[in-house]
Amino acid sequence: MKAILALATKDLRLLLRDRVGFFFTFFFPLLYAVFFGAIFSAQGRGASALNVVVVDEDQTDASKAFVAELNDSPELEVSTASREEAVNLVRRGRRVGYIVLPPGFGQARGRVFGGESVKLETGMDPSRMAEAGLLQGVLTRHMYRGIQDAFSNPSVMRKQLSESLADVQASADMDPAWRTTLQWFLPVMDRFLAELPSGEGMGRAFQPFEIESKDVQVRRGGPQNSYEISFPQGVIWGVMACSAGFGISLVVERTRGTLVRLRIAPIGRMHILGGKAIACLLTTMGVPALLLALGVVAFGIRPDSWALVFVAVASMGLCFVGIMMMLSVMGKTEQAAGGIGWAVLTVMAMIGGGMIPLFVMPPWMQTISHASPVKWSILALEGAIWRNFSASEMLLPCAILVATGLTTFFVGTRAFRWAQE
Amino acid sequence: MLTLRNVRKSFGRIVAVDDLSLTIKPGEVFGLLGPNGAGKTTTVNMAVGLLRPDQGTVEIQGAGAPDQPRVRGRIGVAPQALALYDELTGEENLAFFGKLQGLTGRLLADRVQWALEFVALTDRRRDRVSTYSGGMKRRLNIAVAMIHAPSLLLLDEPTVGVDPQSRNAIFENILALKGKGHTIVYTTHYMEEAQRLCDRVGIMDHGRLLALDTVEGLITAHGGKSVLFLEREDGERRIETDDPLRELVGLPNNGALRRFRLERPNLERVFLHLTGRELRDA
Repeated sequence: MKAILALATKDLRLLLRDRVGFFFTFFFPLLYAVFFGAIFSAQGRGASALNVVVVDEDQTDASKAFVAELNDSPELEVSTASREEAVNLVRRGRRVGYIVLPPGFGQARGRVFGGESVKLETGMDPSRMAEAGLLQGVLTRHMYRGIQDAFSNPSVMRKQLSESLADVQASADMDPAWRTTLQWFLPVMDRFLAELPSGEGMGRAFQPFEIESKDVQVRRGGPQNSYEISFPQGVIWGVMACSAGFGISLVVERTRGTLVRLRIAPIGRMHILGGKAIACLLTTMGVPALLLALGVVAFGIRPDSWALVFVAVASMGLCFVGIMMMLSVMGKTEQAAGGIGWAVLTVMAMIGGGMIPLFVMPPWMQTISHASPVKWSILALEGAIWRNFSASEMLLPCAILVATGLTTFFVGTRAFRWAQE
Repeated sequence: MLTLRNVRKSFGRIVAVDDLSLTIKPGEVFGLLGPNGAGKTTTVNMAVGLLRPDQGTVEIQGAGAPDQPRVRGRIGVAPQALALYDELTGEENLAFFGKLQGLTGRLLADRVQWALEFVALTDRRRDRVSTYSGGMKRRLNIAVAMIHAPSLLLLDEPTVGVDPQSRNAIFENILALKGKGHTIVYTTHYMEEAQRLCDRVGIMDHGRLLALDTVEGLITAHGGKSVLFLEREDGERRIETDDPLRELVGLPNNGALRRFRLERPNLERVFLHLTGRELRDA
């Protein structure tokens, strides 16, 4: 045991003296966590309103009022331009999309029955198609609000009904049954509005529900802040850097001859690998502990359960010790091992949610992510920090991590080349 | 001290060591010479337990085969490639390898101190090895091999790439160890080193031991005669002789000898005689 501790202490000392390695093991993950935490935090405060341009080809009071309504919308940041300018602004990426209010828009907006419908044209930056649905929803809400306003004002509504009745009577190609129905309904509606007490409208009747949006601040079932999302991702980069660093260090021991001296010492091969594994485990657990401690002190992270955080960190550490062992057999030279190792880890991070959160990935990618230890590591950490996992819910990700670690460690130790070829 | 009996080791179809038998006596400095690819490194690796022979046995006197960890504790090795951690200090390297040998506490501190003084690195004990010169690293490499006071020390080309001062210091270290009764196996390409340091020398080629004796014995058996080169007014003469002095005295005294040069048989000539003069790039 003393020999294993001596080996582990030596490796930790070497890690601390390797400034570049120390940067990528600790400071880079911290930068990652803080950077993305700050970005997500800014988005949460509405800093990312859709920047759209409106082409008002109607130029009526109603269309101008509609542009003003859009401008007041918290989801949008609105400017106006000609159609040609608007298309160019979107093409050059200066605006997310454009909205064209065609001639006749103002007249048609509040019309309820009959007449020609108005077509709003929108154009979106192809790289921002994910936000097209949001824009459509905002436009639908504002158009609905026009109808709601008409119903809220009897005089305006009666004028609309009168115009609609004239359109019905003038229409040559309307379905006769529909025409008969409207010719009966519109006058009845007009009489109803005429008998309403002055100042009262029907708006309330046409608003079956209201949506009130609140920031969720409760502790259970959600992250306290954006750093509780970004820190698990940052932690994973630190753990991967540890794993890669120790994997490469095993190759370096072989290529530089120190492995020969270790093998000549009166210790077994498993002592040598055990020392490396313990040093790697201490680091893969120490880096998350340091990062999370910083997160608690400076960034408001409040884990649901420290005990489960420890379980998650330990499982993750075991997993990446095994992966370290696998990385050490992937190349004969330190350059090859480093290149291949980081390529493998980067792919793991890409598909496992270590670069971008899993929830923004398409379903097929989320299915593939099950193969990545990064996904289970992040899930275990999030489960302990803000997903409020129970012990039984933690079992699945942690068991997968431990099993992955033991399997890869076993395979790696069997495949490890003890002599330089 | 170390005995190899009918040892054979092959790598695929290449036979690296073929039916080698060798006994290293306690307290001697044994030189193992041979051209590239002769099988020296394979022999050393089997001697320290890094390789297991396909046939035959390797035994450390009174301990057993060196593939057992406890037996390896009696051996110290200074590999040809510098097996040191550049980012640790000299002292830390010694302490680390000492701990692997089971040294602790006061004993470890004393051995580290002794090793540093032995190779004259006490002043640089707290400097990282990456700042050492080639000669300093070579000396530290030997010190690490000596940290646990092994009874058998294997030095694999310990003077490669060092300046004359460091080389001389290494020679003095080896002679000092010899004086204290350590058994040393020394592989080298430098014949004058073997001639100066070794009690006995074995010459290997193609995995076989071609000759084994004291340096004088080898020279007598395989070195041939001394060669006397004479430069006279009427030209040069080359005389092979067992008694160069008698040849010189017997020369006609006619004033025609301008100068002469005597080439005595040496280990290099023995080596070339036994292994041939063709290049070995393997």
